[in-house]
Amino acid sequence: MSDASDVTRSMEATGAVAASYAARRRRARPSGWWGVSLLICTEAALFGTMIASYFYLQAQVPEWPPPGVDKPIVTWPLVLTGVLLATSVPLFLAARAAKRGRTRATWLMLALALLVQCAYIGGQALLFVDDYNKSHPTENAYTSIYFTLVGLHAAHVIVGMALIAFLLVRLLSGLTNYRLVGVRVVALYWYFVNLIAVPVVLTQVSPSL
Amino acid sequence: MSVGRAVAGRPADPRRGRWRRVAPLASAVLVALLAGCGPLSPLDPQSEPARRISVLWWVMLAVAGVVFAGACVMLVAGWIRRREWGLPVLGERPRLLDGSVVAFGIVIPVITLVALFAWANVGIVQETDSPPPDAGMKIEVTGSQWWWQVRYPGTPAVTANEIHIPARTPVTIVTEAEDVIHSFWIPRLNRKVDSLPGHANRVELFAERPGVYRGSCAEFCGQQHARMGVSVRADPPERFRAWLASMSAPRPAPATPLARRGEQVFMSKQCASCHTIRGTPARGEVGPDLTHLKTRATLAALTIPNRRGYLAGWVVDPQAVKEGAKMPALDLTGPELQALLEYLESLR
Amino acid sequence: MTTTTAPPRAAQRRLDRLERIWEEPSGLVGWLTTVDHKRIGILYFFTSLAFFVAGGIEALLIRTQLLGPNGTVVSPELYNQLMTMHGVTMIFLAVIPMQIGAFGNYLLPLMIGARDMAFPRLNAFSYWVFLVSGIFIYTSMAVGAAPNAGWFDYVPLGSRQFSPGPGIDFYTLGLIFTGISTTASAINFIVTIFKLRAPGMSLNRMPLFCYAILAVSFALVFALPSLSTALIFLELDRALGMHFFDVGFGGDPVMWQHLFWFFGHPEVYIIILPAFGIATAIIPTFAERKMVAFALVALAEILVAFIGFGVWAHHMFTVGLPTVSQTYFAAASMMVVIPSAIQLFAWITTIATGKPRFETPLLFIIGFIVLFMIGGLTGVMTAAIPFDQQAHDTYFIVAHFHYVIFGAAVFPVLGGIYYWFPKVTGRMYNERVGKVSFWVTFAGMNLTFFPMHIVGLLGMPRRVYSYPGDVGWSTLNLIETLGAYLLAAGLLTIVANLLVSYRRGARAGNDPFGGDTLEWSVSSPPPSYNFPVIPKVSSPYAMWDRKDREDDEQRLAEGELVLEEGHETPSSTVLDADWDEILDMPSKSWAPVVLAVVLGLVFAMMLLQHYVTALGFAALAGLVLAAWNWKEPQVA
Repeated sequence: MSDASDVTRSMEATGAVAASYAARRRRARPSGWWGVSLLICTEAALFGTMIASYFYLQAQVPEWPPPGVDKPIVTWPLVLTGVLLATSVPLFLAARAAKRGRTRATWLMLALALLVQCAYIGGQALLFVDDYNKSHPTENAYTSIYFTLVGLHAAHVIVGMALIAFLLVRLLSGLTNYRLVGVRVVALYWYFVNLIAVPVVLTQVSPSL
Repeated sequence: MSVGRAVAGRPADPRRGRWRRVAPLASAVLVALLAGCGPLSPLDPQSEPARRISVLWWVMLAVAGVVFAGACVMLVAGWIRRREWGLPVLGERPRLLDGSVVAFGIVIPVITLVALFAWANVGIVQETDSPPPDAGMKIEVTGSQWWWQVRYPGTPAVTANEIHIPARTPVTIVTEAEDVIHSFWIPRLNRKVDSLPGHANRVELFAERPGVYRGSCAEFCGQQHARMGVSVRADPPERFRAWLASMSAPRPAPATPLARRGEQVFMSKQCASCHTIRGTPARGEVGPDLTHLKTRATLAALTIPNRRGYLAGWVVDPQAVKEGAKMPALDLTGPELQALLEYLESLR
Repeated sequence: MTTTTAPPRAAQRRLDRLERIWEEPSGLVGWLTTVDHKRIGILYFFTSLAFFVAGGIEALLIRTQLLGPNGTVVSPELYNQLMTMHGVTMIFLAVIPMQIGAFGNYLLPLMIGARDMAFPRLNAFSYWVFLVSGIFIYTSMAVGAAPNAGWFDYVPLGSRQFSPGPGIDFYTLGLIFTGISTTASAINFIVTIFKLRAPGMSLNRMPLFCYAILAVSFALVFALPSLSTALIFLELDRALGMHFFDVGFGGDPVMWQHLFWFFGHPEVYIIILPAFGIATAIIPTFAERKMVAFALVALAEILVAFIGFGVWAHHMFTVGLPTVSQTYFAAASMMVVIPSAIQLFAWITTIATGKPRFETPLLFIIGFIVLFMIGGLTGVMTAAIPFDQQAHDTYFIVAHFHYVIFGAAVFPVLGGIYYWFPKVTGRMYNERVGKVSFWVTFAGMNLTFFPMHIVGLLGMPRRVYSYPGDVGWSTLNLIETLGAYLLAAGLLTIVANLLVSYRRGARAGNDPFGGDTLEWSVSSPPPSYNFPVIPKVSSPYAMWDRKDREDDEQRLAEGELVLEEGHETPSSTVLDADWDEILDMPSKSWAPVVLAVVLGLVFAMMLLQHYVTALGFAALAGLVLAAWNWKEPQVA
């Protein structure tokens, strides 16, 4: 068992250099990482049950979408999803910069990711309005599950954007161990949101594939 | 070698669990005594599927009793030998104890469960499973809040809550629900099937003997789930055919002036908007078909006897009989009520 | 039993410093802002106890109504609300919060040698959300609109068309709300077990109670979302007119059942797993020997949780699923018996081969074993599809699940309350009254629930507000009702015993029973900082490793692993518990209780269908969350 001398008091790392040292010195993943991973498990289960419900409802009826509802468009949802997936890169770079104690680079990468995500959510909003004008969510089971699934994912994106905005504000006062772990776990959350976007969008467009 | 630790000065408790066995065992005896007592008991089977399930139950009870007794014996042994380590035979060697856990916790349960699975879920289930769609005589039973509509496809016959079938004939009940999920269950004849909106389930009824077999709704369906009885009356086939023929006919024309007046009351008050009486303009589909009301033994889904006094109460104040029932209280004068009753009582 | 000698001067100074660092203020503010897992455990205890009493009153009203045929004690509508609220209360607001929130929170850090949970403020938040969501659900009763469609609320009955009032909305929103609390707790437990074990407590040296908590937490993480999906769908149908479950619009009411039971079956293992943990804590202590087949028992606890996810449709054998699916689910349901059988046999063997002291806590555990056997055996019977198709929705099933819930979850809780009462309060309960309370409760329990097997096999369906007098159910129902009153008397005896003992019981030392886990190494009640030194651990029976405990005292004097420079606890690697960091834990905070209240407002607005206002409160919640995270622990 190691003794007190080679174990860090990581919470005392209130500057970028100290925080970076604590991050590199740490052997196991921090508590926050595990916490967000488990949160991801619950959210994955939520999306899993919703996607399963989509296909369950599809199996109950002969025609899907039911008559009177347009088949979903394919191109724009896939393109937008690609854009979203791409934001994983600046987020990864932000987490790496934070671990290296480079506060400014972290901030810039996060801001870049947020900017692209704004474009994404703007595009999604336009598609949503377009869908809404074609069919109302309360028409039938198909529209119900379609809008709910897409809406659930959008809600996760918006929450993620709020998390990044929060980090951007906090990082203006410098990097601490707490904020470094924060950057890592927000990036982790985003990897999940981006990853889950793939089955969600494939489900969303599946009748047209 | 002792695997535990001694604690000084702790007196053992003189009371222990020998009597714990008594209450459940006594009740098991009670089960045996009470079996077959009660018109709704699945343990009083009157058909082959119900009988096979009943036998399954008794065997499972016996095996469970043995397992339970064995565990209690061990606990009692633990009490008797509480001042010594280990047990006879098992001793206290960790390897042997671990092995016994594997034997009694894994091996023996697996063997027992596989046997049970084969018997019940591969064997008996073939007898109790839904009959195929093309099987013989069908009766359509539709569950509503809180009554059962009974139709005989291929005939105009419609009734409510009391199903007639020919004895010693396989009959397929095809059941759906009009509103919420119900469950159709005649315990002495077969297992239950849920009545779902939009999806038909089937169960076979084969009454070995003529008789009345009571049942009930078996899925909570709202306020009056407790008062949604159903019954099956098995008659010798000729008697059944006569019954079906009479049920297929329109209502007997009212014979007395009072009854004719009653029919007018029926048509002028809201009754016709919910009830059908074949042979009259009344074509309501919300409540039970009343064409041959008087052939039924009960009213309100086996809640009250079908006798004049009860019928009066049911018509005048349904909420007092079955709170929440969808039938509104009618605003009838005394003479109107008497006429209506006379009419309804004539609907044989 | 440890003897407490006065520590030398240097050690005493350290203890004083720890006390100053960790002590929280008393009074209302102290409790509202607490992040101490022990205080949170106590809050959970009393709150879930209050809900247990509410559920018990509902049960007594139910039983009184069913005392004789055609009862008129309550109206059909009120009865249906009572039976629904009884189920919802007991499962979501009593049994699970008691085991996880009270026992889990209080004991877990103590058993793993930590000073608090991994996320202390999240822990407090879990409690406050539990309280607020429970109040939210019970508001339904206060306005006479409690949910009335049963605790599993099948559709279409639960849809707006057939349940037009706000009752079911209280149900859907209330349970989503409560789910936030339970999810947060589950995550907290897993991270605590992974990261905060005392250095040296590798996973194979972790007590079995902790394995049970780990298993139940993972089960919660993966099961609750299915319920959330079902509830979200139902609320969208009810409030916004969507059609997930409407047959005429392509929806399917059976989908509700799949989603509900995919959660619902793991839920019942969630109900009993912590109780298994309590049993595995009490048995070695009173049998005075280590648990037989420790590794198998630990594995079995995890397997129960895991296999429990594959059996859900055995609640749906009468729905008309394809035969091949039913056969699969029956097979899986039989498989899940095996881990329980392993544990049962191990427990019985441990007691039988030890030198058992039949004191009150062990009596409750033996009662649990007997009752769990009965409940488990009837459960096996229901895995026989044809039999289940007769017994389903009858009182046979009511008997089965009360034997496993009351017998297999509540009995260990009662035993655990007795067992840890001296630790939490510093006083001993009265042993003789304890034994009386066990026998009365045990007798009452069996008298109430055993006849239900019989009356179910005589055809009595579930959820009936009354029954006719000519079907042979009357005598048995009378016995059940009398049994319920006896059971209530037994439970009241327990309460009386503990209340009086709290005032006048003999002072308890650190370790009145010869316990095997670390909570018995500290004072009763434990100090605010739990451990003067982070304990050295060599086995799952840390208290029985006398050398290690003596080493602890030595290390206190030398200042090794005292961690007195702040609000500190060590953090270790996941598998081998190598010491990795020193964490500075948060101290008191207003954010958890404020956030819980704001969330309550969000849900209240959604209930009233004021969605814009709800969104506004949600934004406010976001701000509170930001404020929460603004204050980083090192500043605290």
